[in-house]
Amino acid sequence: MATMTYRQALAKAMREALRDNPKTVLYGLGVTDHTGIFGTTLGLEKEFGKERVFDTPISEDAMTGLGIGLALSGYYPIHTHIRNDFMLLAMNQLVNSAAKYKYMYGGCFTVPMLVRGVIGRSWGQGAQHSQSLQSLFSHVPGLTVIMPSAAQSIMDCYRYAVNEYKSPVISFEHRLQYDYSFEVKERRDDQNPFTSYLIRKGSDVTIVAVSVMVQEAQRAAKYVKEKAGIEVEIIDINCLTHPDVDMILESVKKTGKVIVADTSWASFGVCAEVARIIAVNAPDSLKVPLKEISMAKSPCPTTKALEKHFYADMGDIVDNIYQLCSGKEKHNQSLPDEEYKKTLYKEFKGPF
Amino acid sequence: MIEEKIVEIYPSDKIQSPVHLSIGQEHHVVAICAALKKDDMVFATYRSHAPYLAKGGDLKAMFAELYGKHSGMAKGKAGSMHLCSPANGSMGSSAIVGSIFSHAMGVAYAAKLKKESKIAVALAGDGATEEGAFHECLNFSSLKNLPILYVIENNGLAIHAPLCIRQSYTLGALAGSYGIDYFLAEDGFDMENIFEKTIKIREGIVNTKRPFLLEIMTYRYKGHVGVAEDYDKGYRGRKELEEWMRRDPLVGNRALIEKYRGRIENEIAEAVNFAEKSGFPPREELLKDVY
Repeated sequence: MATMTYRQALAKAMREALRDNPKTVLYGLGVTDHTGIFGTTLGLEKEFGKERVFDTPISEDAMTGLGIGLALSGYYPIHTHIRNDFMLLAMNQLVNSAAKYKYMYGGCFTVPMLVRGVIGRSWGQGAQHSQSLQSLFSHVPGLTVIMPSAAQSIMDCYRYAVNEYKSPVISFEHRLQYDYSFEVKERRDDQNPFTSYLIRKGSDVTIVAVSVMVQEAQRAAKYVKEKAGIEVEIIDINCLTHPDVDMILESVKKTGKVIVADTSWASFGVCAEVARIIAVNAPDSLKVPLKEISMAKSPCPTTKALEKHFYADMGDIVDNIYQLCSGKEKHNQSLPDEEYKKTLYKEFKGPF
Repeated sequence: MIEEKIVEIYPSDKIQSPVHLSIGQEHHVVAICAALKKDDMVFATYRSHAPYLAKGGDLKAMFAELYGKHSGMAKGKAGSMHLCSPANGSMGSSAIVGSIFSHAMGVAYAAKLKKESKIAVALAGDGATEEGAFHECLNFSSLKNLPILYVIENNGLAIHAPLCIRQSYTLGALAGSYGIDYFLAEDGFDMENIFEKTIKIREGIVNTKRPFLLEIMTYRYKGHVGVAEDYDKGYRGRKELEEWMRRDPLVGNRALIEKYRGRIENEIAEAVNFAEKSGFPPREELLKDVY
């Protein structure tokens, strides 16, 4: 099995999107500059021409609407945002137009398109370069929201979006993941990849996670297995708008203990949504109250002294696993120390 | 006559959708659409009756849509504000003013990629030009030499607010600063002039691959929304209306009106009858076409 970084998977997916679908158009702020969306669009302008691959004015609203018009004409637009925070400037087009174009006109039109938004974290990204806005978009019927947690998801989901799916897709990519390596196979299978994945089987605790928190959950699972013999099951939601509800419920019924690990704030977000799914469908399945791993309920502070308290890491997940399994908040089990974590984390060094 | 029929039906509550009537400002729409080719793509606003029909939209499907019936052009999901007829190049009508400029721009970009000689048309009111997206689109369409015609229907009102409390710019100067050619049709009722002018403008767009901004002075006979007049509300006077109506060929040209009246009345009666007789969409329709 080959390995590939998240960044390499993105670059491959972008190139194949342009190569395999002659109708693909790729654009966004910085797409053709020397950094090429963190190295994921480099060389594509030269290979596919400046009409299909182009940099844009700083006009998120109009550039999103441009994509809608292109999609209405049979093209497949891919619009990139180096930080998903900028997508708020495109909110009108995404929510009022792209999400509605098929339904509002009774199925007369389809608007297949892909919007890539990068989530920032660490190195003082601060309040406006670090948000993780998936829940805002997942709330709206008509938008399909994915958060690929690994190189394989990038390849499967983007290939499917570009060549088969007929609705607007919003993908949140986590900046911290770009340099991580993943095992990949050429194609997972021919099924619709816009669903959830069972990442690890276990019988003691269920972790439902998204994006980079899937990796944090895997780190925590490995740690508690080694230290305490606890078996953690991990579900990667992957497609927030179309999660595999049965997969989640089956796991919760088995373990009775659930941690939801999201990259964003807990209220009205992924934590709230998973709690809703369980409360609505299997309210008796929880043996103990559900645990939430999320950002602190504040804007993101820039200084590292505060930022380290703002985000959760694998240590917080381990702590929560021990709490759930012991039934006590003070469980007396030792948590991974800084030395241990250093062996796991590739330190993200800025500026961006 | 169609709008007058809607005025007549509206109190019956058979049409349960906010209607923004085109009456008073349908002249230039007809003239412009007559000058376009069938595959030129038109995007419009919530005041969508005139652009839909002028581009060839079906009257029966429109009335059924207003009635919320399954036989409507969007199965009752669009109502009055979102009429479209893709087969005729009527590509949608948005209630969010200013959001359609970029859709038309995308279609124009696609035409450029395909090397087609068609153009995209964005029809919107003077208020829509106050949106930032309008400026974003003027910039990009000029930068990329896109075949797009911006038609700004200036009726002097955004809902009830007059131009003088909303705008610090003039469209001609604005277009000029983006290097976009501009023409002002001071009489929106002069259909022949607008027709001739649009043919030339269209040719120019196709030949030069440059955007164009056409501003039309026109007048909204009814209130912003609904079927009532609102000249007693204090924001405009009936004298204004009378001034425009005096020049309105669709009011004053009796010979023209009588020539077509019978035919149009029949067509309207058939459409209303079709809407009345059609069924409502079944419940299964609720969750169809979301994704």
